[in-house]
Amino acid sequence: MNWSGAYTWINLNYLLQGLWITIQISVISIILSSIFGAILGIIRYSKISKVSAFVGFLVDIVRNLPLLLILFFSYFGLPQIGIRFSTFSAAIFAFTIFESAMLAEIFRSGLEAVDKGQTEAARSNGLTYLQTLRYIVFPQGLKKMIAPIVSQFISLVKDTSLATIILLPDLMQRAQVIYGQDTNYMIPIFILVAATYFVVNYLLSLFAGFIDRRLKN
Amino acid sequence: MSLISFKNVGKSYGEFKALKDINLDINQGQIVSIIGPSGSGKSTLLRTMNGLEEINEGQLIVDDHDLSNPKVDINKLRKDVGMVFQHFNLYANKTILENITLAPRIVLKENTKQAEQNAMKLLEMVGLKDQANKYPSQLSGGQQQRIAIARSLAMKPKAILFDEPTSALDPEMIGDVLNVMKEVAGQDMTMVVVTHEMGFAREVGDRIIFMDSGQILEDSNDPKAFFKKPKEPRAQQFLSKVIGH
Repeated sequence: MNWSGAYTWINLNYLLQGLWITIQISVISIILSSIFGAILGIIRYSKISKVSAFVGFLVDIVRNLPLLLILFFSYFGLPQIGIRFSTFSAAIFAFTIFESAMLAEIFRSGLEAVDKGQTEAARSNGLTYLQTLRYIVFPQGLKKMIAPIVSQFISLVKDTSLATIILLPDLMQRAQVIYGQDTNYMIPIFILVAATYFVVNYLLSLFAGFIDRRLKN
Repeated sequence: MSLISFKNVGKSYGEFKALKDINLDINQGQIVSIIGPSGSGKSTLLRTMNGLEEINEGQLIVDDHDLSNPKVDINKLRKDVGMVFQHFNLYANKTILENITLAPRIVLKENTKQAEQNAMKLLEMVGLKDQANKYPSQLSGGQQQRIAIARSLAMKPKAILFDEPTSALDPEMIGDVLNVMKEVAGQDMTMVVVTHEMGFAREVGDRIIFMDSGQILEDSNDPKAFFKKPKEPRAQQFLSKVIGH
């Protein structure tokens, strides 16, 4: 094991740039999939007959596919039909599709967990369906969704490492490049990368705890 | 003039007929108590009056809105017909004050100040002015139900529907809620009340509707006479069981 050789400034800086890519991919995918997931979840919840059933069908398909397959599809498959992405965009595309489907189910079940009496009261009070959703059901459902949403985000941050396979220069891929030079770097680099993923995800769950407490008060 | 008018109304869930051939006219300002055994269709009948339950047969007109027409704008009707539920259903994510001001602000487009002033007056009327900034979960059942009545009144409705408003309450709390309902009754409000409170039905009501198996068996404009001796044997049997113990 060569700790000092593994932890040179050049290597650390190289990994840091990888972390930056991991964070960018994660944040952009989280924002996009939250928007699409919420919209799809609300459509599922609303039971707009055929539309909801169709969304449910798509969501079920995506949820039951391996993420790696979706990643391959967006990077290798889509160019076959003339849609070309950079590595970065292909990764975001794949993660957004997969996470949107996962989040749609979380949104749907969170909304369905809100007591039906709340909807009846709001509708009887003269609010429209959308107003009821906006002021009453969604805010109450959101409280119930925070924990599962955050564990989904944590999965996403970890899953970004799969994009190594399409050579996205993220934290994981750069780690491979470094220990590829010298196997004595392997364990020190693994430990450093593991610690980095841990810190990022742990901060995310602390933040979630903070939001959860704020919402409950 | 009748505010609520049922003509040969029926409602079924699959094979089960929840309402059968209902004919009923309720006039502006009337206090109508609907009584009867569990599963007799009382709540279903009440819930058709603001479209929470759809009807399958006949015609139902509430405040000039034809609820048998699928194209009716139900939100317009609900502005004018309030509802108070057995389990209160206050908005859990809103304070007491927000519970009362939400619909006036959003639906009636009142400005916040005006809505809050009106809400404070209503809170004073139901005796809960000091609870304005609490959340529903911090209040007792009886207090929550009084807030629910205030929330309905804030829309300045023509009628309020009460679905067993005291059934989920501790006995000690019932009196406070009934007092508020009596006060509302004194303001010339049309009230339709599904209830097991026979005292309220007799003292405050103008009219008794007795239901069983989805039908109106007796419709009396003289509650005191009804409670002395109902005409229908089924109603006699019901009352002897309810009042007899």
